[in-house]
Amino acid sequence: MKAFFATLLVATGIAAALAYLSFFIVKQNEQALVLEFGRPVRIVDKPGLNWKYPVIQTAQIFDKRILDLDTIPDEIIAADQKRLRVDAFTRYRITDPLKFFQAVGTEDGARRTLGPIVNSSLKRVLASVSFQDIVKDKRDELMKRIAQQVNDEGKDLGVEVVDVRIKRADLPQQNSKSVFDRMRTERQREAAEFRAQGTAEANRIRATADREATIIKAEATRKSEILRGEGDGERNRIFNEAYGRDPEFARFYRQMQGYEASFRPGTRMLLSPDSEFMRYLGNPGLGQTKK
Amino acid sequence: MPWNNQNGGGNNKGPWGNKGGGGPWGQGPSGGGGGGGNQPPDLEELLKRSQDRLRKAMPGGGGGGGGIPGWAIMLIATLGIAFTAFSAFTFRVNPDEVGIVMRFGQYVRRADPGLHFRWPPPIEEVRFPKVTRQNTLQVGMRSVDRGRGFTTAPAGSETSHMLTGDENIVDINFVVRWQIKNDRVQDYLFNIQNPELTVEEVAESAMREIVGKMNIQPVLTESRQKIEQDVQKLMQDVLDSYGAGVRVVEVQLQRVDPPQEVIDAFRDVQAARADKERLQNEAATYANKIVPEARGEAERILQAAEGYKQQTIADANGQASRFLNVYEQYRKAPDLTRQRMYIETMERVLSQSDTIILDQKAGGQGVVPYLPLDQLQKRTEGK
Repeated sequence: MKAFFATLLVATGIAAALAYLSFFIVKQNEQALVLEFGRPVRIVDKPGLNWKYPVIQTAQIFDKRILDLDTIPDEIIAADQKRLRVDAFTRYRITDPLKFFQAVGTEDGARRTLGPIVNSSLKRVLASVSFQDIVKDKRDELMKRIAQQVNDEGKDLGVEVVDVRIKRADLPQQNSKSVFDRMRTERQREAAEFRAQGTAEANRIRATADREATIIKAEATRKSEILRGEGDGERNRIFNEAYGRDPEFARFYRQMQGYEASFRPGTRMLLSPDSEFMRYLGNPGLGQTKK
Repeated sequence: MPWNNQNGGGNNKGPWGNKGGGGPWGQGPSGGGGGGGNQPPDLEELLKRSQDRLRKAMPGGGGGGGGIPGWAIMLIATLGIAFTAFSAFTFRVNPDEVGIVMRFGQYVRRADPGLHFRWPPPIEEVRFPKVTRQNTLQVGMRSVDRGRGFTTAPAGSETSHMLTGDENIVDINFVVRWQIKNDRVQDYLFNIQNPELTVEEVAESAMREIVGKMNIQPVLTESRQKIEQDVQKLMQDVLDSYGAGVRVVEVQLQRVDPPQEVIDAFRDVQAARADKERLQNEAATYANKIVPEARGEAERILQAAEGYKQQTIADANGQASRFLNVYEQYRKAPDLTRQRMYIETMERVLSQSDTIILDQKAGGQGVVPYLPLDQLQKRTEGK
């Protein structure tokens, strides 16, 4: 009984070991290179359970996904001599496991080989264009060009570069300072301009208002003079019409009124007894004697 | 590898041997509840254990139970086997997850939340990406401890400073919310090595690309929404080109400021703008005061003139008709009226005057007419 179980146990163990050595699983995101004593025999790029000779053959598993490659930020000089600190990242995938295995071996190896390729391509492409093009106008196009170049050079590594993107393209620290200075002076200029505009506009508003007020008053004065003239004219017309009936009497009448108006109370007058008013003063019968 | 463990599992000193029936109950729920755990008790070991148990349960076999009846041990063993089998053959998908089942590494089916059947590993393995969860990524901020608690990056930090198209620098940080595309879960799992890092790098790259195309003024003011939309679109395009299986839900700008070094100058521009407004308003106030006042003054002048006109005319009319009335009567007896009027007038005039009558003819020779001007003056002054 005991012996039977022991045999069973050993048999199971051997079977399991054999299975372990002769089957290998390629996952959905993997591909495998089967080597027979180091000689590549086949590439498995379909996921699933696969068979190989135990011991004789070994399976080398590679990732099939898009892989990361983050290069060290590098300082480049654009065509117009401006310095830029560029940080890029790369995404690639292993397309040919055999070439990949031969050229770089592992992902770490790929990083060591592909990193400098990316950096030099970055430098080459960016050095041929201006700062403006890198930052503003042609960024997208430049990234495509870099990816294309890296792809061409990386073909022998059995990889396909999916994308190279510039993560950052910034000014180096010492250049930042001069940019800050420029920004500051620009803002100061802008602020001064705003204030001056404010003053100018305020002056304009005040002057316009003053002018308007003056014109309004002048216009009113003009109209008022016309009105007064009309009044005066009418007055003349009325008097002319009335006094015209007998100018001589009118003159007398007005003169009388004038006397009354012009001699104020308390006016000192020196009169001669010969005056018309004193006519009867010393000669009461004057009229009668004459007659 | 599970195979390995199975081979090594030949010894009989499992938890069963040491602790009797208590062991599996303590372990069981965690194994079953995990559902996705990759190391459920494997079949072979189970078999062996049950054999062990049987042997012990036989009358006179071991007697190790210390008086526990055989049928109880059998019951516990059966339950244990049933439970372990249950957890080995099923898995649970939580509401925020989806179960992606792979048989020998190959994708075969997907499972919605709930309980599902599977073959135990290594035949089938299940992964549980959280498809409904919205992941938040903060760019331009540095996380203090991983996971929670963000502080803004210190001024001048590399991640938050960006170059604009007109060669200015802005300090930006923003949040990206992203999700696994529900219909592209396989892409997310199998297409890209490091989705989270990729989203982050693409976010940074996209933001800088968009901001680099714009001038600083619109970035700081009116174009925020446009930036958000553009970055979201660009990110989505790039991630789609990778087949990342990621949907960018939202890009949200948090802080968009001029760099710390120059922020005072920018604030002064704001102040200057306000000053400009203020000066204009003051001037407008003045204008609003002086023009209506002038209108009022004009009206006053006009009214006064009109009044003068009417007054003059009325006055003239009155005087004229007075004259005409007098004249009517005068015509009837001109001399008489004339004299009477003269005398009446003189009467009124002279009654109010200091009258001195000086007769030069009647012995007036000796009298020098002396006009005391100083006295006259005094009287006028005294008045």
